This record gives sequence, C-alpha cells and structure tokens, in this order.
Amino acid sequence: MASSRDDFIIAIRSAFLKKSTQQKFSLLTLVSASIFVVLLSSLDFRAVRLLKMGINEFIYRSSFVISIPENFIKQTFIDVVEYTTFHKKYKKDKEELNELRSSNISSEIIQYENKELKELINDYVSSSDKILAKIIVDHDSPFLKSIIINKGSKDNIKIGTNVYDQAYLVGRVIEVNYKTSRVLLLSDLNSNVPVTIAPQNIQAIITGSGDNFGQVKYIKDGLSQKFSEKSIVYTSGTGAIFKSGIPIGILKAADKDAENKVYVEFYSDFSQLKYVFAEVVTKKEIQNSDNNSSVDAENKNPMDAKLKILEDEIKIIEDSNSRFKQENENLKSEINDLNNEISKIEGQILSQKNIINQFNIDKQELKFLRLNLIHGHKCRKTFLNTKGYIVGTSDYKDCVLSKE
Amino acid sequence: MTKLKSRGSILKFYSWIPLFVLFISVMNEFDFNYLNLKYFSFNFPFILIFFFTLKDFKNFDYILVFIAGLINDTVVGLPLGISSLSYLLICIATSYFRNITIRPNPIKDWFYFLFIISLINSINYSILTLFFSFSLVLMNYIVNTFFTFLFYIIFVSIFKYYLKGLND
Repeated sequence: MASSRDDFIIAIRSAFLKKSTQQKFSLLTLVSASIFVVLLSSLDFRAVRLLKMGINEFIYRSSFVISIPENFIKQTFIDVVEYTTFHKKYKKDKEELNELRSSNISSEIIQYENKELKELINDYVSSSDKILAKIIVDHDSPFLKSIIINKGSKDNIKIGTNVYDQAYLVGRVIEVNYKTSRVLLLSDLNSNVPVTIAPQNIQAIITGSGDNFGQVKYIKDGLSQKFSEKSIVYTSGTGAIFKSGIPIGILKAADKDAENKVYVEFYSDFSQLKYVFAEVVTKKEIQNSDNNSSVDAENKNPMDAKLKILEDEIKIIEDSNSRFKQENENLKSEINDLNNEISKIEGQILSQKNIINQFNIDKQELKFLRLNLIHGHKCRKTFLNTKGYIVGTSDYKDCVLSKE
Repeated sequence: MTKLKSRGSILKFYSWIPLFVLFISVMNEFDFNYLNLKYFSFNFPFILIFFFTLKDFKNFDYILVFIAGLINDTVVGLPLGISSLSYLLICIATSYFRNITIRPNPIKDWFYFLFIISLINSINYSILTLFFSFSLVLMNYIVNTFFTFLFYIIFVSIFKYYLKGLND
C-alpha cells in the first residue's frame, strides 16, 4: 500500500518537476505562470490592460491572415448553399424590396419628425456617425459569440459603442484596442438588451441564447400571452446602453415543450457578417438664437424636405401603378394563349381516344380469327357435334373465344 | 553535399509541423463551426497536445504550448491564461501517464484522454462561471468533450502516420 503511494508521488513529482533535455521550463513553473496570468487578467491594472491591448492587436491581425484559407473554404461552402436557393430568394427579395421602398419613405418622414421633437425636448442633439468596419476575426465559437472589427480607439470607438448590420443592431463593443475592437453579439449568453415589444408596447430584456436567436426575459407573468407572432422587437433605450428605436428582430413561435419561453429571431444573420457599422456618437449643444430669420430657415428646410419626400412617394406609387397595369395586360394575354392551347389539346385527346378504341376492336377481331382457325371445328354445329353452334352467331363467337 | 543539406532542412521543417499546426489551429479555431451543426464542436489542440506530449515528441516544448494557450485565449476572448492552464494540465497528465505506463495501449490512452478532457473542461467551466461570472451552456462543453473524444482516434491514426514518416 505504502509502496504504491510512493510510486504515485514519485510519478507526480516527476511529471511536475522533471525537465526533459529539450524542455526549457518545468511544468510546475509554467502552471504557476498561467495561474499568475489568470489572476493578472482578472485584475484591471492599467499596465496589464495596455500589454493586453498590444498582444490583442498583434494576435488579431495574425489570426486574420492565418484564417484566410479557412475563410475561403467557409465562403465557398456558403456560396454553394446560397446558389441552390438563389432563384427563390431572388423572387422573394424582389417583392420585399418593393414593399420596403414604400415603407422607407414613411419611415424617413417619421425619423425627421422624431428628430424635430427631440430637438424641442432636449437642449442637445446627439449626432452620430456610422463608420464602416471590417470583421477581421469571426470564429463563431460555440462558447462565446463575439467578433473582432478593424476599428479601435484611433477611430473614436469606445466600450459600449453600438454596432449595426445596416440598420439592425448586432451588438456592442466590449474591448477596445488601438486599431481593433471586440464586439459582443446579441446572441451571446452574456448579452442583455432592454427592449420594447411592439405593438403591445411591453418592456423586456433580450438575452442571447448562445444560438442564433435571443430569448425574452424579465417580463411580468401573464404578459407573454399577449405576444403575437411577428411582433417587432426594438431597443427601448433604457439604461442608456443602447440607443432607442433600433430594430432587433421579430418574435418567434416558442417550442411546444418550452412553455413560457419566448424567442426572438434576429433580423441580422450573425454568421454571415462581413462588414458592420460602428456608431460614434457626439453630443452637440443647441444654440438658442433670437434671430427669427434663422428659425424660419430651419422651419423651412424641414418643410421642403417633407415635401420632397412626399413627391418622391407619389412618384414611386405612380411608377408601381403603371408597372402593375402592364403586368395585368401581360397576364391577360397569357391567359388567352393558355385557353387556346387547352382547347387544342382537348381535340387531340378526343382523336387519340377514337384511335385507341378502333385499335382495341381490331385486336379483338384478330384474336377471334386466330382462335377460329384452331378451335372453330369444336364449336361448329355438325352432324357429329350437335352441341355446337351455327357459324356467325354470337354464341359461336363466345365459344371460340372461350377456348383460349 | 547540397542535397544532404536540403534533405536536413526538409526534415527539420517536417519535425516542426505539429507545432505549426498547433499555432495555426489556435489562431484559426479549426472546428468546422460554419457547418452550423447544432452543438457540434471539438477541441483540436487538446488532441494534438495530448498525443505529442504523450509520445514525448522532441520539438513539443512546454513553453510553446503555454504561448499557444495565451493566443487561444486572445482569439476566443477568454480571460488570459485559462487555455494555457488547460493545455499544461494535459501535459502534466500525459507526463504522469507516461511515467506509470509500462506497456502503452491505444485504447487505454483513448479513455485516459476522455477522463483528462472531461476533468479539464470541468475546471474550465468552473473557473469561468465562478470567478469570471461568464454565462455558458454546459451542454456545449459536454458535446465538445464527446466529439473531441471521438475525433481523437481519427487524428491519432494520422499523427501515427506522420511519426512513421519521420522515423523513416
């Protein structure tokens, strides 16, 4: 017993302390070093932070270069999948585009009014610049959902900067380096976003699920029954972490086994992101001036803009109307052509049926003649065969055919 | 003479391949995630480190394994040092296993590997959730462990082929 314990201790000591000829450090030294690094990274020292930023910059760039072949394979795989569903998607997208064009006009009007009202309420306007950022590292890890973008503190990116895919929210910046930043995606388990669910106007928090959808949490009991499928989810702006009114996704039907769980399907597909927009926000104070002319000019400009938007809207509606008319005409002529073809085909079918009937009769007759030659004498009424039938009668024919 | 020299440099490069692959895999997170198979993932560096440290491969320096861990943490976004600790624990486990083994058996190695990666993933999960307050899905870890265990035997046959080539 004691000897086996000794063996164990010797083996463990050897594993920890023995250095092979090619090893520069013992494992004990390196394990201690990694525990020390873990402890250091949990403490937020400035020197450690700067060192970490430097390491991050270097490794992110290297990872980007090394990932090029895998990204190429990944992109090829995605392209192949996309091509197979290309036509269907194209048709659907075309319809959606027409709808969006018209709704975009109304949303522009609303945005303009919104801006005006905000200006009236606050004494400052937050103007934002969206800067385009390229995703340099996106490994879609099953554990942590984050991406690395090629914009950092040099481009005024800060911790908490909102990141978009077109107009849709993607996540927020959680780590800033000089020329790179890490963005925590909405799908990550550690992501929490205060939202409003429309049209029910319910306040909630969306957390990531670790998968490509979010989960609605922290709502009052009973409110979840009010939700309808296709309810829209957008940021409420509570807590000032995210700007208000940014679309996130739509509610998704919950699984039957997961009661009381409401999921959100994100508008943006996080696995397909190549470029994103980071919003750099700057606040500007409004200068109150007594100069009426300048106020008139300010009032005039929004009116002009609104009129211009309305004119555009009319133009688009007229365009789509004329297109619909044209399509209608085309469809009518197509229907006529199809009707003609149908009547032609019906005629063809009738003549083919007649041919088939004639063929069947001929076939029957031939069969009878063949059998008559072989078995005719058995069915014919003669002096010796009194049970036979007179030639030409239907009984005679049946008798011959029954001999087959 | 020149021929011999070039042969020597090719051999040198060939003997460093496992380390290159380790560094590429930690930077690249080579795991077929883009296939979008639910929960599917496996930890290639675990397999690589386990195999080559078990074989006491001459170029597999522990300090380089430690650095590979640091790189992996940076790329994945984990607190620095977590992966290094995991990788070094594998090295300790293989070193211990090598000391107590008289007759190596691939099946024993395989199940010992399962035990070790389960233990290390448990330690990882505990540190991240308890000390760093990360929210993680335990199922992901379990499935990752399972697939890493399954893939071990496939990669080991490739690595053995590589070692055979090196010895020849």
